[in-house]
Amino acid sequence: MEDIKAYIESGILELYVLGDVSHAEKLQVEEMRSKHPAIKAELDEIEHSMELYAAENAVKPNDHLRDRILNSMLTNFGDDNNFPSKTAPLAAAKVVALPAPKVNSFFKYAFAACLALLILSVAALINIYNKLQDANTQLVALNSTNQQFTKTVNFQDQQLHIYRDPSFKVIQLSGTAKHANASMLLAFSPAKKKVIIDMADLKMPENDKAHQYQLWALVGGKPVNLGVFDKSTSDSVDMKEMKSIALAQAFAVTLEPKGGSVNPTMDQMMVIGNF
Amino acid sequence: MSKKKISLSEEELVLALRNREKIAIEALYDMYSSSLFGVISRIIIDTPVAEDVLQETFVKIWHSFASYSTEKGRLFTWMVNIARNLAIDKIRSKDFKNQNKNQELENNVTFIDEQRNTVYKPELLGIKDLVQTLKPEQKLILELVYFKGYTHVEAADELGIPLGTIKTRLRMAIQQLRKHFN
Repeated sequence: MEDIKAYIESGILELYVLGDVSHAEKLQVEEMRSKHPAIKAELDEIEHSMELYAAENAVKPNDHLRDRILNSMLTNFGDDNNFPSKTAPLAAAKVVALPAPKVNSFFKYAFAACLALLILSVAALINIYNKLQDANTQLVALNSTNQQFTKTVNFQDQQLHIYRDPSFKVIQLSGTAKHANASMLLAFSPAKKKVIIDMADLKMPENDKAHQYQLWALVGGKPVNLGVFDKSTSDSVDMKEMKSIALAQAFAVTLEPKGGSVNPTMDQMMVIGNF
Repeated sequence: MSKKKISLSEEELVLALRNREKIAIEALYDMYSSSLFGVISRIIIDTPVAEDVLQETFVKIWHSFASYSTEKGRLFTWMVNIARNLAIDKIRSKDFKNQNKNQELENNVTFIDEQRNTVYKPELLGIKDLVQTLKPEQKLILELVYFKGYTHVEAADELGIPLGTIKTRLRMAIQQLRKHFN
């Protein structure tokens, strides 16, 4: 109670009523007022007497001023009336509310733009992927054509090389009685000890998986193994080099079990030709 | 017919102002314009300028009424502080100071008289009597703080008196007024 009395007598309440206090002091006085009825009563007294003092000091303004001032206040009255609630909180709420949709719409547009870009990118990607697939297919086709050409050229090169070489003798092997239609061409160079068969000119039935053709050279009446080969459509364009031999009187081909035999199976002889 | 004065109780007036009722504006003016103009015209001697400040005061009261609450004290206390602050801002503003410097020579006698506040104003007659009931030093401090817009710190400086004494005298002066009105 002593504190409150001292607080009242400090003169701060009078300064508060006169508006001559700092912001901190103002808050302090307002807190004291709400806590202590004595201070509230004292403030009421001071305010009341200052109001009466001002009334005693009143100076009546010129009559023309009344209309002027009321008009200047009413100028905004119509505007104010359009807003049912109080001006200040409404204005504050508006300031807060206005930027919000702006932000929202920005993200909305940004999101839409992103989505559109994404769809466009995916479409472009699919288009480009399709083109790439086409190009790849074409490349594969071109490659295989190219390989075929290379193969053909190689073969023809080989063939040309062999047929031009004077050391090579071309031997025509003719079909036996059992296989009259069979025939093949064989190039033999005793100097270079090379035996080459022309797969392109091979006229024999295709062998099955269990059997292979075997080339034999007859040297002094004895058969010498020169290796096995297959007759198949895919393998037909080639000059196949067989095992080397320097001397031979004749060449023959028999059909043997896969991998070849040590001795020729005479009744399976396909073709034969003398050198 | 517009001369008919409107008067409401303080509670009614606050409620009407809060609801932005048109009648509140007129009631506000009729009830308080003289008291507020009394304060303003004591701070600003030049009547047209004081009238401008009175207008600014009412416009500001009307527009910032949402910031007033009855918990903060009487309506008049809130309004008179707005009026006093606007008046003090005006006399301290550059425009006003320049305007005073540029007073023409022939007007100087009355101008200085007005500045010294020695012009006879019949409407102030009542106050003079009242202020006579105050001791001279109480009267002076009340004049400076209430009518000249001094802060108590400036008043202490001006009078060469300690701050505590200023506060005490101000309190005594207002106590005197309370006695007078009771």
